[in-house]
This record gives sequence, C-alpha cells and structure tokens, in this order.
Amino acid sequence: MIHRNVDAVVIGGGSAGLAAALALRTAGTTVAIVEREPFLGGILLQCIHSGFGLHEFRQDLTGPEYAARFVGPVREAGIEVFLNTTVMEIGEEPTGRSVIALSQNQGVVRFATRAVVLAMGCRERNRGNVAIAGTRPAGVLTAGLAQRLVNIEGCIPGRRVVIVGSGDIGLIMARRLTLVGCDVLAVVEIQPYPSGSARNIVQCLNDYSIPLHLGHVVTRIEGRDRVEAVRIAPLSDGRADAGKERRIECDTVLLSVGLIPENELSRAAGVPIDEGSSGPHVDADLMTGAPGIFACGNVLHVHDLVDYVTEEARRCGERAAAWLSGARKDAMLPVVPGANVRYVVPNACAAGRKNVFYLRALVVKNDALLDVRVGGRQARSQKLSHVQPSEMIRFSLEPDAVPERPAGEEAVVEVSIR
Amino acid sequence: MKENTAAGLEMICIACPIACRLTVSQSGPDVTVTGNRCARGDAYGREEFHAPMRIVTAVIPTDSAQFPCAPVRTDKPVPRDKVRELLQKLYATRVALPVQSGDVVITDFDGARVIYTRTLPPDEVASIGEPGAESKGDDKVS
Repeated sequence: MIHRNVDAVVIGGGSAGLAAALALRTAGTTVAIVEREPFLGGILLQCIHSGFGLHEFRQDLTGPEYAARFVGPVREAGIEVFLNTTVMEIGEEPTGRSVIALSQNQGVVRFATRAVVLAMGCRERNRGNVAIAGTRPAGVLTAGLAQRLVNIEGCIPGRRVVIVGSGDIGLIMARRLTLVGCDVLAVVEIQPYPSGSARNIVQCLNDYSIPLHLGHVVTRIEGRDRVEAVRIAPLSDGRADAGKERRIECDTVLLSVGLIPENELSRAAGVPIDEGSSGPHVDADLMTGAPGIFACGNVLHVHDLVDYVTEEARRCGERAAAWLSGARKDAMLPVVPGANVRYVVPNACAAGRKNVFYLRALVVKNDALLDVRVGGRQARSQKLSHVQPSEMIRFSLEPDAVPERPAGEEAVVEVSIR
Repeated sequence: MKENTAAGLEMICIACPIACRLTVSQSGPDVTVTGNRCARGDAYGREEFHAPMRIVTAVIPTDSAQFPCAPVRTDKPVPRDKVRELLQKLYATRVALPVQSGDVVITDFDGARVIYTRTLPPDEVASIGEPGAESKGDDKVS
C-alpha cells in the first residue's frame, strides 16, 4: 500500500479537476489528482470538435486543445497525478479526511488529507433510465460511448443509425457519424423543442439534411441479436399515437437523453445532494455539507460549456485553499430557486464579496426577466432575450448586493425568471 | 437548414441562442435578410447565402495500438461544400506517432491548414498508469 500526505486530493482529472488542482497549487497547497482513466483531460479528449474556450481563452479550440492548456501547467506545477486509479472511499479521520484508491499497477493508495475536491463529472443516462420497450439486441449505446469509439478507439459502431434524444452530444454525433460514412436516419426528440443548442441543430443536422422528429417517441426497439429497426410515433396528448407509428430499419441506436452527476462517492461520504441539480448542496465557497469536501464541474451540476466548468472549478480551488489556510468563513445567505427556476448553484451567497451563480430555467421563453431578491428586496433585475432549460444562465451579484444578515431576520436570496 | 422557397432561402440564425428564422432573398444585385432581430443576424444570413464556411474536425488513423486515432482540425473555416473532399484526403492519410499538437498535416486546402490537435507519444514509451513518471512532468500519457 502506498501512503501519501497532501493538503488536498482532487478526485477526477477532467476539466474541473485540472482547474481546481491548479488553483490549489497556485495558492501554495500540496495537491494530488486521482484519475481513473489512463490520461488527464477527461471527456474533452473525445470531443474533437471545436467550440471550446470562447469565454476562457477568446479562442475557438477543440476539446484536446482545451485540455492541453491545463495538463501542461498541472505537470509543471508539481501536482502529483495518479492515473488508472479509482477512488473507492472518502473517509473521515481525526485530522481531516482519508481517500482510499485502487490502481492496477500500484495496488491500494491511501491519502491522508485535509480537503477533498469532488470533480468526478457526470455520466450519461442509458436505456434503463428512459425505459424504451422492445428486445435487448446489440447496437444500443449512449452517444458519448459512440463518440469515444469513433474519436479515440477508431471504431465505427454501426452503419445505419437512429439517435434518440436531441442533446448536444447526440447532435454532435449525428454529424460525426455522417462524416465517417454512416447513414444517420433520424433524431427523435420527445419534447416539442430540441434539447441541444440551435447552433448544433443547424451545423450538425441541417447541414447534412438529417431529419429531426420533435414530439416523437421510440415505441419499440426490434432485433434479436443486433438492432434491426426502431418504431417511432408522434405524441398526442402525452401518449404515443399508435395510428401514426412508423418503422425505421437501422442497425444502431444512440441514446442522447441527458446526463447525471456521478455522486455515488459523495453520497457514501455523507454529502447531502440537492434535488434540483442532482449534485451536492454547496455553500458560497463550493463546500458541500460535509466539512472539507468541495465540489465543482459536472459532478456539482451539468454544464453546457466547459468554460464555465473551468471558472467554477478555479473558484472552488481558491476557496478550498483559503479554507485550508484557516480563513474565517464569510457570512452567507441561503439561495433558493423561485418561479420558473429548476436550480441555482451555489446554494448560498457570501456577504461582502462578488458571487457568481449558474441556474437552469424550467421554461422556454423570449424576453424574460431574471429577478433576484434578497430578503424580499430586489437586488438585481436583468433582461434575458431568450431562456430555455438546455441553456445554462450565468449571473453575478456585486459585493454590495448582499448585506450582512440582519440579526433575527429570515433572509434568503430568491432567484426567479418572469 | 436552407430551404428554397418562393420568398427566398430560409435558415436558422446561430449568432445567438434566440435562433431567429431568417429568409434571405435576392433581387438583382441586392441581397435582403428578413426575420433577424439584430445586425449579427443580417451578417450571418449574408455569409450563409453567399458562401457557408465551416471549421472541419476529424481523426486520422495512426500506426499505434494505444492511440489509434489522431485528432485534426482546419485552422480556419473552409467552404462547406468542400468538406467531403477534404475528408477523403484525410481518410487516405495514415500517420506514424509521435505527433505534436499544432503540427501541420495538410499545408494548404483552399487556403486553410490542417493541424493536429493532440500531442500523442509513440507506443513504446507510452507505459500507462505510473503516477511517479506522470508527476515528473513526463508528457507521455496526456
């Protein structure tokens, strides 16, 4: 067994873990990154398309290029990286925390640490999560897995493809598979509007004349050993209209039906989870309900843009470093979602400093208004030309927006969309 | 989506998430964009009408067992109707590792260069999963 003593252990070496680890190291703490894959960079390495870094670097980068901007500095900063190493457990010690990890080459690695940063990312919802009827043939896989096969492993998962769900990964893969010679026959979306961005609808589907069936469901997957066809039908009053069902012959079905923050480790460590975001409940320092355990990136809430992951993770690392150095916590007010808001992260607002928030709307609306109230008094009002659940909204509150909590008063920050 | 209708060419603007439905029509030398809510929509409609351009990304096969694919991109947008032609060129390429991110694969395709987007090591030094080696700043498994 290997023993390591570090100030902080970052679990996950993707975009969130890299930025958090760098911020911690820059602040003078000792850091280890534990990554279960054989490389740093996480999901970015299979995202070979461009569109990353427009906020962070003012450049249009591909996923691997974006990752390299952080992997290089992590190496130079003297951050110890454990690859092919899977964390099994986060424990509590009299002196702080322990992290137990397993690696094929190293055996058991045991970290004694004071802070843990959760940066494990998210995983894709799969067939079991969406309950599609039919047989269980080969050829049904998630869009992200197909992306890994095509872009990293160099395999093409099938020839005639139907994509279920219009999330961005599904749209990106519709284009990608078309460009490697597959026939993408249909993208089937249950909602009356696409769940991916307009940009991806245009550049991934419309450019290649790939049909998008909105308000449709897959009623059945057919095939004994391999997928042979799917049946799709339009929704009518919330039910599949069997009279309008049609059959599409195909050999592969990709699922792009949403992402779930991967919080098994967090739950086992006693970290409370927020129902709206499916990630840990965090304060304004991005510290979870378990002291010394912080969270950032897609394990905290699913982001659309890696640039925002980086911004959030860097702040997480900075706050974790401040906490490690013994800085007194600022006074904080709870932040709660109001009308038309699914969740707001973080779940608290610190008094006397700038606070950055991310939220998701529950509605599709043009010319909406973001309304932030502190203790019932409007602290911010901002026009939003367009909101929809698939586009994350970022906003900030200036230091003077949040007063120190008046004694005895029940003050919360409520965020609504009107 | 570009659809030719009697009124002109219909398309969805992607300058921002509002996704205005544009109609671009031409009468004589004049091109008119309607349906846009801002100047960016007008510019987008015109470019799409005259010459839609796209950044192209792909992977090309390598001689490596560990890293069978090398991701590449064009360094600037190329005409959309030349994407297939470019891909045929790339798919006919086979590369020996190592490669460096930024190295050139194709020096000139319609004014654009094709470059690698990931640094990949040759197989023999790419032993995986050794935290000690990794922490010394060795670039082998990024």
